[in-house]
Amino acid sequence: MASHSSAQPPAPPRVPVAILGALLPFAERSEVLADLAAEFAYRAGTFGKPAASRWYWRQLASSAPSLTRRIWWRGWSGFEPNANRMRPGGPSMESWIMDARYAARRLVRRPLYTALSVLTLALGIGGTAAVYAIARPILLDPLPYQAEDGLVAFWNPFDWSEQEFLYLRGRVPGFSEVAAYRTDNVLLDRGDGQVRLLPSILSSVELFPVLGTKPALGRWFQRGEDERGAEAVAVLSYGLWQELGGDRSIVGQRLRIDGQPRTVVGVMPRGFWFPDPTTKIWIPQPLRPESRSGNYAFLGRMAPGLTVERMPGPIAEFVRMLGERFTYPAQWDKTKNPVLTPLRKYLVGSLTPALVATFVAMGLILLIACANVAALMLGQVEGRTTELAVRSALGANRVRLTQQLVAEAALLGIGAGVVGALLAVAAFRGLVAALPLGAWGEAATLSWSVFAAAMVAAVLAATMVAIAPGVAMWRGNLRHVIGSSRTGGIAGRGGRLEGSLVVAEVALAVVMAAGAGLLVRSVAKLYAIDPGVDTRNVGVLRIVLPNEMQTPRRFQALREVTAALATLPGVTNAGAAQILPISGDGWNSGIRVEGDPDGEVTTTFVRFVTPQYLETMGVKLRDGRMFTEADRTSAGSTPGIIVNEALVKKYFAGTNPIGRRISTGFTEPLGVVIGVVNDVAEAQLTDPPGPARYMLPETIPFVAGGQGVVFRTSGRDPATLLEDARQMVRRTIPGAGIERVSTMEREFATAVGPARQVMMLLAILTTLALVLGAVGVYGVISHFVNRRSRDWGVRLALGMAPSKVVRMIVMRGTALVGLGILLGVTAFFALARLLGSLLYGVGASDPLAMGSATLVLLVVGVLAAVIPGMRASRTDPAIVLREQ
Amino acid sequence: MSSDNSLGVFEEQVMLAVLHARDDAYGMNVRREIETRTDREVAIGAVYATLDRLEQKGLIASSRVAGDGGSRRVFSVTAAGTRALYETRAMRDRLWQGLDLQVLGARSRA
Repeated sequence: MASHSSAQPPAPPRVPVAILGALLPFAERSEVLADLAAEFAYRAGTFGKPAASRWYWRQLASSAPSLTRRIWWRGWSGFEPNANRMRPGGPSMESWIMDARYAARRLVRRPLYTALSVLTLALGIGGTAAVYAIARPILLDPLPYQAEDGLVAFWNPFDWSEQEFLYLRGRVPGFSEVAAYRTDNVLLDRGDGQVRLLPSILSSVELFPVLGTKPALGRWFQRGEDERGAEAVAVLSYGLWQELGGDRSIVGQRLRIDGQPRTVVGVMPRGFWFPDPTTKIWIPQPLRPESRSGNYAFLGRMAPGLTVERMPGPIAEFVRMLGERFTYPAQWDKTKNPVLTPLRKYLVGSLTPALVATFVAMGLILLIACANVAALMLGQVEGRTTELAVRSALGANRVRLTQQLVAEAALLGIGAGVVGALLAVAAFRGLVAALPLGAWGEAATLSWSVFAAAMVAAVLAATMVAIAPGVAMWRGNLRHVIGSSRTGGIAGRGGRLEGSLVVAEVALAVVMAAGAGLLVRSVAKLYAIDPGVDTRNVGVLRIVLPNEMQTPRRFQALREVTAALATLPGVTNAGAAQILPISGDGWNSGIRVEGDPDGEVTTTFVRFVTPQYLETMGVKLRDGRMFTEADRTSAGSTPGIIVNEALVKKYFAGTNPIGRRISTGFTEPLGVVIGVVNDVAEAQLTDPPGPARYMLPETIPFVAGGQGVVFRTSGRDPATLLEDARQMVRRTIPGAGIERVSTMEREFATAVGPARQVMMLLAILTTLALVLGAVGVYGVISHFVNRRSRDWGVRLALGMAPSKVVRMIVMRGTALVGLGILLGVTAFFALARLLGSLLYGVGASDPLAMGSATLVLLVVGVLAAVIPGMRASRTDPAIVLREQ
Repeated sequence: MSSDNSLGVFEEQVMLAVLHARDDAYGMNVRREIETRTDREVAIGAVYATLDRLEQKGLIASSRVAGDGGSRRVFSVTAAGTRALYETRAMRDRLWQGLDLQVLGARSRA
């Protein structure tokens, strides 16, 4: 055809040329591409190159469907002259397509086998993909900060004070910037009667320069904005900005935050988070040089060129500076054991073990599923030996026969990948809820990566499935089979490959069962911890007092709400405290004991509680007395303080604390110790008992907005009263927000936390692994039995007792299971480290967990072997022998 | 009989284009022929898939002829193909008999 070429004809875009080249019939490929190129050149000359490129793409787009259909139905090049067949790209593809179609027909004809294989694989694929999709943004994606390698967190997080920060500010050796921050919740009042509680960060102005992320709108904090009297400003998260309307004019507007107008100066970009994705707002905190409460964490950007390994020098200097200015008691000496934690480990390190453990468990399920399907396929191959032998005798080579197996595995893999991806999408939410992700769980969103992960898992699974039957094909002597197959016979193949699959499956199941066993033990021990309160029959409401409510009215509100709750039917006591036990840290304050010169260098928990609170929570009085209503009036002048046993042990060892005077930690007049109660797990369940002071709200001239209100019933399930209680709170304190309602038992379950959640998940997965393992053992043993039915027939005819046949078969099953258990236990010791941080009170090699896992597997394995064994013992020799 | 051999619209276009292109009826030319005569853009892949299908049905035949720079697969319409074209056209004519598009247009406007 005529070419429109000038000296240098423009070449068509490379990508569509390559794709078209792959799709076109082999014989015509070069001629069509040359013609298309010529027309492209002509079009480029007439209409311009972009238009010509678009035309070429359109040619590809509308050609692709029909060409693809054609390839499927005709093979790669059905009409090509024979001479072309030897050229690359032609015949091998054609044979693959033929094999795929043959495999598809075979699969359709065995719907049960197909469905079972696809479903088993899909379970593993879906689970692995879902966990991957959850874990990727947390563990693998880069943190949304500039040069994250340079960021480290200081030791003793949330134990640094404003005083320390202001002393060190700007001159921490080895760091270009250091920021102090603490977490808080602030109330955002949008003026529509709805008050929202927002997780927030209060920080020094260095926070954003340290992180190095530029705001999407506006600016970040400026020097001086964390000083007292500076204009109140705030930076919003992208999500909060969207919720507020997403208007760019938000910068410069004022929002009412904690009852005070604040100017929005910036909005962070989408995808930015610190320290977790639920944080909505960042506020510069006015820093007070006199404040010595340890509430802050320090975050630093190392000076250019420095790494964590090269920090010991500067840190030694830093510690020396700290030691010069401050004296610390031995237990809380910050100059001892300074450790810098890389930011990623600091922020998401606690999530890693749970995620990795779940991912490994899902991976094990996938491996077990692969072993199962491989065993099924192996059974199919062995059942087809005659067919395969005939085909091989007729000239089929082993490559071709193996290719057919691979095609079957690939089709199963594709099916399982699709079903698995759907399962992953369905399981995503459930898994997010079941994993101890905290703030990350709330922010987890499903993305396309779940599909990509499912497909990758499917390809891996298909490969693994094809290996065992492929090996069997290459090892066996097919020609020889023709001779022996018609007579069946004891000389049939040994099934060693199938046996090793079972061993592998059992080993994997043991690893999972042992892991689940360890967690069960660990959770049991957590439940055995005495939190110091009686968690039974206690209802909990977390409320937020209205912003505009003034302090005197707040005292009254707390009095009224507790009195009102006490009138509910079945309720005996009610109380309130600004923080409830086992709900995390917070509210520590310095303590000074009268006559002790070592003033206010240590802190204790401080809880402001209504008179009935301690009784409501079931805290036991050890000495002195509890609060009475009468104490309210004297609380402002000579406050009564109830302390716990840990405080007595630490500050009054060997003396009687009752009547001694100690500081309240907030106001000037010293208080008097009026009673001693047992230790309560005020912060974390697993913390050792810490000293605590309990005081009435009236002791200090302000009341925290967030309050935990509790009530105790006389035996009635408190959950049934929660709705009444909620309405009671609404009526008593109009405008109050109710954050959540719960029971103390539920709070306790939450506090047991990550280990419990991972345990539930692992327990479910272990059950799945056991079922799959049992199916595998059953399948392999029954196949073993069927292959040897003539053998059993002969033995029974010669007078062997049926029970002995059963015993022989069960013995074989037990041997396989035993070997698997041995391998599994060994593998588990290598993997147990993963669970280390989730364990409490049990070693990673706990014999009880290991023993019960072994036992369960042994029982399941033996049972799975007994059924085919029984069947073999009932073999009728006459029937079997007549078949020959 | 006629239902077996009835042609799809694109099949008919491809066969007519093969006839128009005479001795030069290879894929790319067939495509260009349809494009110039129908004034629509046609994808080469669709042409090849259709030629292939028509050849399987025995309505066209292909042979390799040596041309400038290699051999080319050139198509021609078989006797069965000619019959199919004729029948397709005859069927359409029967369907059109007694209809006047201008009258129809006037009626649907009313």
